[in-house]
Amino acid sequence: MATLGCAAVVIGGCRLEAPERTEAEARARRTGYRGILLEDTGPRPAFVLTDTRGGVYDFQAETEGKLALLFFGYTYCPDICPVHMASLAAVKRDLSAEDQNGIRVIFATVDPQRDTPERLRSWLDNFDPAFVGLHGSEAEVDSIMLGLGLPPAVRDTASGPDYGVGHASQVIAFPPGADHRVVYPFGTRQADWVHDFPKLLNP
Amino acid sequence: MSGLQWWCSAQTGAWTWTPRPFPGVWLLVICLMGVYWILRRNADPAQDDSHSGRDRRAAVAWFAGVLALWIALDWPIGALAGYLASAHMVQFLLISLVAPALLLLGVPTAAWTRLARRDGAVRALHLMTHPLVALAIFQLVLFYTHVPSVVDRLMPTPWGSFAIDMAWLVAGTLFWWPVVAPVPIRPRFRYPLKMGYLFLSTVLNTMPYAFLTFGELPFYGVYELAPPVGSLTVRQDQQVAGLLMKVGGGLILWTAITILFFRWYGKEGEAEGPIPSA
Repeated sequence: MATLGCAAVVIGGCRLEAPERTEAEARARRTGYRGILLEDTGPRPAFVLTDTRGGVYDFQAETEGKLALLFFGYTYCPDICPVHMASLAAVKRDLSAEDQNGIRVIFATVDPQRDTPERLRSWLDNFDPAFVGLHGSEAEVDSIMLGLGLPPAVRDTASGPDYGVGHASQVIAFPPGADHRVVYPFGTRQADWVHDFPKLLNP
Repeated sequence: MSGLQWWCSAQTGAWTWTPRPFPGVWLLVICLMGVYWILRRNADPAQDDSHSGRDRRAAVAWFAGVLALWIALDWPIGALAGYLASAHMVQFLLISLVAPALLLLGVPTAAWTRLARRDGAVRALHLMTHPLVALAIFQLVLFYTHVPSVVDRLMPTPWGSFAIDMAWLVAGTLFWWPVVAPVPIRPRFRYPLKMGYLFLSTVLNTMPYAFLTFGELPFYGVYELAPPVGSLTVRQDQQVAGLLMKVGGGLILWTAITILFFRWYGKEGEAEGPIPSA
């Protein structure tokens, strides 16, 4: 009985596709993207922050004609941030040099107190030295997030020096020359990026 | 990190090296100790050879099998198996290939003798542990429990993870039964066939190994989206898992083949008798 029970659970599990997978595939059939398409969003947001070399980074100007992948996170993040960055780095590495050059991955820290430019650079270099790290005051970053329709970060600094930061978990893609955005929530797989990159690069 | 879990399963919280208890695993270990005590207690006093070297070795084998299961299922390997495909593969090797062989070797002689007297059980075992049936069940379980949708669906819950672990244990026991167990007697399944049977399984696990090792993308969402542990990338972790399946599994099976070969060689020598002196 125990054998049959285990076999039933295991074989039954084989038939059950995770709901988020089927949703992503249904979206791809409708829109061509496994990510969530936001149409008619207008031009890219205009904001200026500081990069890890201390230079001014004008998001609109620096990413013009490129596929920009924008994410708000922090380097002490134990789960979502490193998983997103590792996925993007792994998939980007397999693209042609031309396509790689057409992508800008931008990581804006929501924890400027602890994420010094040096720490931010060193952390991003673990994934891809070409990833851009941006730094600004909490108010500046929160304001940019609100402008993008994202909730501002919640910093639980009262819990001590190892505090966590609650933050939006999606990567926002701005395809070149397009007036739409594509949102990739946490749970996006490398296979999804592989599927969407050709269309994101040439919308 | 979530609260107490009765069985190890995949977690969304960050990995920490703080030990965590898994009461279900401890209960299984206690149950297996209890099974051995029952097997020994019910031994026929007339046939009790508990003081013989053979049964002392059997006792060591049984407890080594329980230890292998305990290591595979408890913290840290059991917990890491929710974060790393490579740790999940170590679990697979210990639960399906190491522990069942040792547990079967650890059954006391008297218990085998009692089992051989039960006609119904022997008839059922004849079918269930027929080498072709056992090999087919083992390979099917190996295949199904490495299908991404199964792993992604079952690993995040203690019951799902438990189902996978028990499927491995049961399938591993069936797989080793024709090689190790003296009941039912299979006069035609001698050493060369036993070696061939084990060799065939080293060949059959090549397909999942190849998928894991040479796959260009991560197969398992549960490991791809798990909080990172160590410096391995998701793909490297998957490759290590594939290599463990092939190399680790191969090592276990080839060790068994080598032991069988030397036993066969020894028996052949006995059959021929001493070389007559000139």
